[in-house]
Amino acid sequence: MKASEAWSGDELLTHARAGESSAFAALVRRYQRTVYSIALRMLNDRHRAEDLAQEVFLQLYRALDSIDSDTHLVFWLRKVAVNRAIDRMRQESRHDSEPLTDAVTVVDESIADDPLLHRRMTELIAELSPAARAVVVLRYQEDLDPVDIAGTLDMSINTVKSHLKRSLMQLRARVQGTAIVEDIR
Amino acid sequence: MSKDFEQQLRDALQPVDPEEGFDQRVMARIAQERSRSRTKITRWASVALAASVLFVAVLGAHQWQLRREQEGLEARKQLIEALRLTGEKLDVAYQAVNRESSLPADDGSGA
Amino acid sequence: MIMRALFKHTILALCGVLSLCANASAADGQLKIPEFAGLADKAAESVIITLDPSLLRLAARFLDPADPQDAAAREAIAGIKGIYVRSYKFDADFAYPKADVDLVRKQLGAPGWQRLVEVRSRKEQQNVDIYLLVEQEKANGLAIIASQPREFTIVNIVGSIDMRKLHELEGQFGIPKLEIEEKK
Repeated sequence: MKASEAWSGDELLTHARAGESSAFAALVRRYQRTVYSIALRMLNDRHRAEDLAQEVFLQLYRALDSIDSDTHLVFWLRKVAVNRAIDRMRQESRHDSEPLTDAVTVVDESIADDPLLHRRMTELIAELSPAARAVVVLRYQEDLDPVDIAGTLDMSINTVKSHLKRSLMQLRARVQGTAIVEDIR
Repeated sequence: MSKDFEQQLRDALQPVDPEEGFDQRVMARIAQERSRSRTKITRWASVALAASVLFVAVLGAHQWQLRREQEGLEARKQLIEALRLTGEKLDVAYQAVNRESSLPADDGSGA
Repeated sequence: MIMRALFKHTILALCGVLSLCANASAADGQLKIPEFAGLADKAAESVIITLDPSLLRLAARFLDPADPQDAAAREAIAGIKGIYVRSYKFDADFAYPKADVDLVRKQLGAPGWQRLVEVRSRKEQQNVDIYLLVEQEKANGLAIIASQPREFTIVNIVGSIDMRKLHELEGQFGIPKLEIEEKK
C-alpha cells in the first residue's frame, strides 16, 4: 500500500496542495466512489457519469487551494457533483427515463435481496425531476439530513422536505403498483 | 416480509465504484489539460483570427455557419471561465471581509 | 489579515451608484497587461482570455437565456466592453516575475482607480486587491490582482460594471456558494 493511502484526508489535502500528484491521485481514489455514484444516480448512464466524475476531480484540482479541510472537501465534492449533474441534465433536457441497461449492472447482488425491486427503484428514481432526484440521492445514498441537503443544493429546508415527501409517495406508489402486478403473475 | 421502504431505497442506492483505473484516467486528463492550457494562446488567437477572416472567406454558407457556431461556443466557454475566475477572486475578498466582521471589533469596524 | 471593513458597505453603496449607470461608453479602464512571455510554458496551468467587444458580443449570442448559468452570465456582462484574464499556476513558489505583476498594480495608482479591498493573508500567503475605476460616479472598470506563492491572477473588466451581479456568480458554474458559518 502506498504511504499516501494511510494519510488522513487533511494530510492528503496538504500534500496535494503542495503539488504532489500522488497525493491528489490518492484523494481521487478515496472519493471516487462518492462522486461517481452521485453522477451515476443523477445521469443514469455509466459513461456520462464517469465523464462528469472526471470533470469534478479536474475542477477540484484547480480549486484545491480553496479547500480548507477534509470535511469541507467532502461537502465540496458532493455539491459540485450534484450541481454539475443537474446543470448537465437541464442542458440535455433529459428528464424522462432512458433505457437503463447500465443501471441493471449496478445493483449490488450481495445486499439486494430483491434485485428486481432495486432495479425497478433505480428506474423510477431516474424518472424524478433533477431537483427531486438530487434530494433523494443525497438523502438515501449519501445519508445527508435535510439541513445538509438544503446547503448542498441551495434550497430551503422546506423545499427539500417537500421533494422528499412527494418523491417517496410517488416511488412507493409506483413500486407497490409493480409488486402487485408481479404477484398476480 | 417487506423491509422498510426507505431502507429499500438505501439498498437500491448503494454507492458503486467507477470502472477500474478511474484515478489514472483523471490524472491523465489533468496532465492533458495542463499541456492544452499552454497552447491556449495559439488556439485562441487562431479562433479570433478566423472569426474575422470568415466574413470574406470563400466558404459555403453552411460551412460558414457551422464554423461561426463553433467559435461562438468557444467564446462562450471563455466567457464562462472568465466570469468563474472573477467570481472566485471576489469571493476570496468577500470571505475575508466576513471573517473579520465576525471578530470582535476593536476599531469600530463591525459589519 | 488586513481588510477593509468598508468593503461591504462600499460594495453596497456602489451597487446603488451602478444601478444608475446604463450606457458607459468609454473604453477606459483597460489596463496594459504584460505579455508574460514564456510563462505559459513554465506554468502548470495557464488561463489567457482576451474578450474584446466583438468577441463578447459573439459569446453573448451563444448564451442560452433558458439556462440559469448562462442567464446569470448574460446579466453580469450587460454593459461590459471587454474582459481580460491572465492566470497562471506553477509547481514551485514564486516562479513568476513579481515585478511584472507589480507593474499592473502600479497602473492602478492612476486617477480614477479606487481600491475597494485589500486582503493580505499571512496564513494563506494570499494577496488580493480589487480596484474600481470610477468616472463621474460611474464604474467603468474593474481590476482584480490576486497572488499567492504559486499562482497569480489578473482580471481586468472594462465597461459598465455591476459588482453585485459579478459577485452573485458564485453558486453558478459549479462553484459552491460558501457560507462562512458552515465552516465552523
